[in-house]
Amino acid sequence: MLRIENLSKRFGKNTASEVLAIDGLSLRVSPGEFACVIGSNGAGKSTLLACVSGATRPDEGKIVLEGEDITRQPENKRAGKIGRVFQDPLSGTCASMTIEENMALANRRGKPRTLRMGITKKEREKFREALSELNLGLENRLRDPVGLLSGGQRQSLSLIMATLVRPTLLLLDEHTAALDPKTANLVMNLTAEVVEKEKLTTVMITHNMRLALLHGTRLLMMHRGQILLDFDELSKSKLTLQDLLEKFDVALPENNTAGVLSDRMLLG
Amino acid sequence: MTFFAFFGAVELGLVYGLMTMGVFITFRVLNFPDLTVDGSLPLGAAVASVCVAGGMNPFFALIFATLAGFLAGTITGFLTTKLRILHLLASILTMTALYSVNIRVMGGRPNISLLGKRTVFDPVFSLGLPNYLAYNLVFLAFVAAIVAILAWLVKTEYGQSLLATGDNPRMITAMGVNTHFTIITGVGISNALVALSGGLVAQYQGTADVSMGVGTIVAGLASIVVGETLFGTRRVTGAIIAAVLGSVVYRLAIALALGLKFKRFSFTASDLNLITALLVVIALTVPLLKSRLKKRKKGAPFGKKPC
Repeated sequence: MLRIENLSKRFGKNTASEVLAIDGLSLRVSPGEFACVIGSNGAGKSTLLACVSGATRPDEGKIVLEGEDITRQPENKRAGKIGRVFQDPLSGTCASMTIEENMALANRRGKPRTLRMGITKKEREKFREALSELNLGLENRLRDPVGLLSGGQRQSLSLIMATLVRPTLLLLDEHTAALDPKTANLVMNLTAEVVEKEKLTTVMITHNMRLALLHGTRLLMMHRGQILLDFDELSKSKLTLQDLLEKFDVALPENNTAGVLSDRMLLG
Repeated sequence: MTFFAFFGAVELGLVYGLMTMGVFITFRVLNFPDLTVDGSLPLGAAVASVCVAGGMNPFFALIFATLAGFLAGTITGFLTTKLRILHLLASILTMTALYSVNIRVMGGRPNISLLGKRTVFDPVFSLGLPNYLAYNLVFLAFVAAIVAILAWLVKTEYGQSLLATGDNPRMITAMGVNTHFTIITGVGISNALVALSGGLVAQYQGTADVSMGVGTIVAGLASIVVGETLFGTRRVTGAIIAAVLGSVVYRLAIALALGLKFKRFSFTASDLNLITALLVVIALTVPLLKSRLKKRKKGAPFGKKPC
């Protein structure tokens, strides 16, 4: 499904502040897998996702999605295969446009934009149905501008929009990190539900070890641009937070957990 | 204000209303402060005049003017997207280049006279209508047609992706839209309308002049801001109509100011820029003052991007 080979990405090349964000990383994600990626700040998680989504071009390596090499494909071209939810709830929707207009934009992900009408009657029914599953009452507010919604509502909407056209790959970039704990829980449960129901191949970045242990069928830990630990569904199910910390300790050559794990990762 | 001054101002308001709609597309929809318009207005005038002077049907002449404006806009769009030049600077570059182009278009002269040539007003004149009605009728027809086209366009898939490009380029890219395409064509459509406006102004005034574009962007912004302040709405189509009405009110305000007399002092046409600047400042301050007065009531009106 998703195959990443020997990926490298440097920022600020040939400057004093050069950073090796991704360092020869290889990864395979099988169809239907829900992979959680954890790691501290600067581990390269977001850069990895940016390379896959096309927001950033890698320096070296190859990214293959469903047998197609997408390494050099423009971001908007590969959008047809990739659904995304961003960390910032404001990023995933257009504030000045209505809920139904936003959903109609999402319903055309990967399709050419023509001079046909932007929303059809049939679509409205589909949108209403999809929104009613959220139980947020949004199905009765199709013509409200998205700017009137709360962060949690907007993030829930973003998630629905990302999966409105079934994506080959769903990328979640810390999509609950900017929400309050209760809303974050709500959105996370919704995510798990949607991924499960649609059997979506998913890569989720999170800062939060507890979330990563609770959800998904695979757990990856990144450090300094590489994948340090990789647990499959079985080994992940036996894992506890304490195990994870200890394994991380052992795996690290410096043996210096304090510098690598932030409080937020442990407590968040 | 005299009867004729009033109708004259309405005429200008309508014909420059086309320009204002163009500025609206870049400034409000795409969030793109586009100074190309100061060059594409005289470009439209120059192309239309050269065509009419050469004996072409005045309506066809306007089509060529519109196409020329579209081309000018796409150049600005190309500079800012593909060559990554800051949008404001890209538009200034095109505007500067257009000064030379416009003189070339007019055969090396800074202006062209259309005295005695056929214009788009002739068919209406032949109905026997008085001048002030004939001009207003023609301009109103153009404005109505463009409003209708834009109202349809913003509802299409393309139009929706254009709105989204201005609102959230990151989101619409993730939805598979090439924002370079929407920006290039959007700025193109904007300048097409501005050039159409310029072509009509040339036929209306009987002359095209290379310097007639000076201050176009400021007049356009003033009209948009006046329109929003007086007739502001949240829906795009409503906002486009408000921009045209704003253009009319703006020209009326100028006519009013030019007609004022305090003993021996009166405003002259050269004071126009000062009046415009003051008008924009006042129009921009009114919402601020309103919200200060209503501080206890929560929330500013939605959808208004700060200038």
